[in-house]
Amino acid sequence: MLAKGVKRPHGEMEGGDLEPRDPGAAPASSLFNISMVKLHQSLRHVEPNLRHLVLVANTLRRMQDQMQREAGGPMAPDSPEALSVVDSPAPVSDLRDSGLEPCRQPPSDSQGDDLLLSSMDSSISTILEDLGQVEVLSPTRPEEEQPLAGASGARQEPARTSAPCLGPLELLSSASYLLEDGLEDIFEDIDTSMYDCDLWSPTSLSGFKAFSSAEDSDSKALAGAEDRLDMSDLDYLMDVLVGGHAL
Amino acid sequence: RLSISSDIISTVEFNHTGELLATGDKGGRVVIFQREPESKNEPYNQGEYNVYSTFQSHEPEFDYLKSLEIEEKINKIKWLPQQNAAHSLLSTNDKTIKLWKVTERDKRPEGYNLKDEEGKLKDLSTVTSLQVPVLKPMDLMVEVTPRRIFANGHTYHVNSISVNSDCETYMSADDLRINLWHLAITDRSFNIVDIKPANMEDLTEVITASEFHPHHCNLFVYSSSKGSLRLCDMRASALCDKHSKLFEEPEDPSNRSFFSEIISSVSDVKFSHSGRYMLTRDYLTVKVWDLNMETKPIETYQVHDYLRSKLCSLYENDCIFDKFECAWNGSDSVIMTGAYNNFFRMFDRNTKRDVTLEASRESSKPRAILKPRRVCVGGKRRKDDISVDSLDFTKKILHTAWHPTENIIAIAATNNLYIFQDKVNSEMH
Repeated sequence: MLAKGVKRPHGEMEGGDLEPRDPGAAPASSLFNISMVKLHQSLRHVEPNLRHLVLVANTLRRMQDQMQREAGGPMAPDSPEALSVVDSPAPVSDLRDSGLEPCRQPPSDSQGDDLLLSSMDSSISTILEDLGQVEVLSPTRPEEEQPLAGASGARQEPARTSAPCLGPLELLSSASYLLEDGLEDIFEDIDTSMYDCDLWSPTSLSGFKAFSSAEDSDSKALAGAEDRLDMSDLDYLMDVLVGGHAL
Repeated sequence: RLSISSDIISTVEFNHTGELLATGDKGGRVVIFQREPESKNEPYNQGEYNVYSTFQSHEPEFDYLKSLEIEEKINKIKWLPQQNAAHSLLSTNDKTIKLWKVTERDKRPEGYNLKDEEGKLKDLSTVTSLQVPVLKPMDLMVEVTPRRIFANGHTYHVNSISVNSDCETYMSADDLRINLWHLAITDRSFNIVDIKPANMEDLTEVITASEFHPHHCNLFVYSSSKGSLRLCDMRASALCDKHSKLFEEPEDPSNRSFFSEIISSVSDVKFSHSGRYMLTRDYLTVKVWDLNMETKPIETYQVHDYLRSKLCSLYENDCIFDKFECAWNGSDSVIMTGAYNNFFRMFDRNTKRDVTLEASRESSKPRAILKPRRVCVGGKRRKDDISVDSLDFTKKILHTAWHPTENIIAIAATNNLYIFQDKVNSEMH
């Protein structure tokens, strides 16, 4: 039926990440990678855990914002917006714990930042591109009505994120999970002629001829005597069925 | 006192009197426990909960169109207020809600004129006189029958159900929508909240829990993955997309991190019995909110703040997404929630004291007193302290329930159910 999400195996994802990576570069990238893996794993399901998906995607957006700010904005690692990958209060022990380094970049690494950021951008855009090619069942159908009565009411304005749209969520609009109507469209072009053939009619099956003819006569008898279907008719039917079994 | 079920318990709920306790599990089964009446003859059996009935509520289903299996795991059980001799409860999996009626049969009629004891027709010539059938006692039989099946109401996964105080309607919430049902009508429901964006790529927030106000049948609250609570009034408009009140605490700038949003995601919301407060659980805290104050909670309690520096690892192993529940005691003076390592926490709102207890086989021999536990984060370590690094994150207490009036709590620890009772009721630490 539908493609279920990931087109690009994890190995290729890694490839999208930069080879000539500055070892001192933002470790948020490894967190970014972990998040991308989670996102892809989530999207692999036909019915992804939406809460998990949304939280991971939002976290990715935050990281992306952070990195873009650091790359493009003033080198102000101490600015309030700078998010540390590792939380307070004991950064040193946490570094050992998580193996990650602080996110803050010394100014000299700006080139490494740019490179990293552009590699991430390219990763995201390739995913975007990929997802755009996923077959969409009913792309033009405006969203819902769900099968049950809904009240009229203003739809909420979807919140626009300021960051460039994180592509993976595009897939959600085409996953069958999230389509409520339009499923009938799937079957429009199915050829049902094979089900109309005579092979299946009981009279064409020789072995059952006797049985079916007995049944036919019975059914005629029953049709004529619907109102007084009594014990004797049922007994006779039982005999026929049991007799037919013996065939 | 504990009992073992073979499958992971996924929900625990006392009924309105506390006489019955229902658990649902991953295998779609519901087990109902009944409290033994206290009797002077067997003082040691006072108030024990024993199995009353077990039934299969949901079966795994296969959705052929989407090619996916719908899990039979029971996400939530809610009891209906008792209106006659029977008990009724709602149970739900990801998609379908069912209304079950639990009845007792302890008498049966004997002495029919036309049928003998086995139900076979008598030879009429042997019947010489008429008798009136009488009810004779029999061994108690508990029968559970499905009375309603509320299907096809949800595209996404149902996370909550809540019975209205009007006892006629209930709501069910999934990730993006909330539906209102009439208990007697299964073929339609009314959509009262819809947060699905026009473009799914704009999806940034989902509904995580919802509950009706205990007294005002027009009010309900729902929580979101961004940590906000929305109180809605069904009288205001048919589609309650516009909240009446929005409860949200601003992010603490000193604690900001990539994980701020995830840890602020509310996993459970419960109105107090009084209806004046709400209790929410997010990853690291429980918060009490006053319905009259939207800007911030009136109380915040740290459940396991020592995890704040471990968020990265907890994100990697997905523990940061665990959804813990929370509970009020009957008088709204103590709140309880679960944690890791089979620990659960209680906070006394009046004395501001808190305690950590453990639900484990060792600590729950009959009549054993639960010993308070402590997690140490370095520095001085006392005997019996557990260090943060040796916490078992696979042992999570996600589901807890408190008896409506007494100090009896039910704790689900993976596939074990623990019921603890505080006989000396002043000892609320």
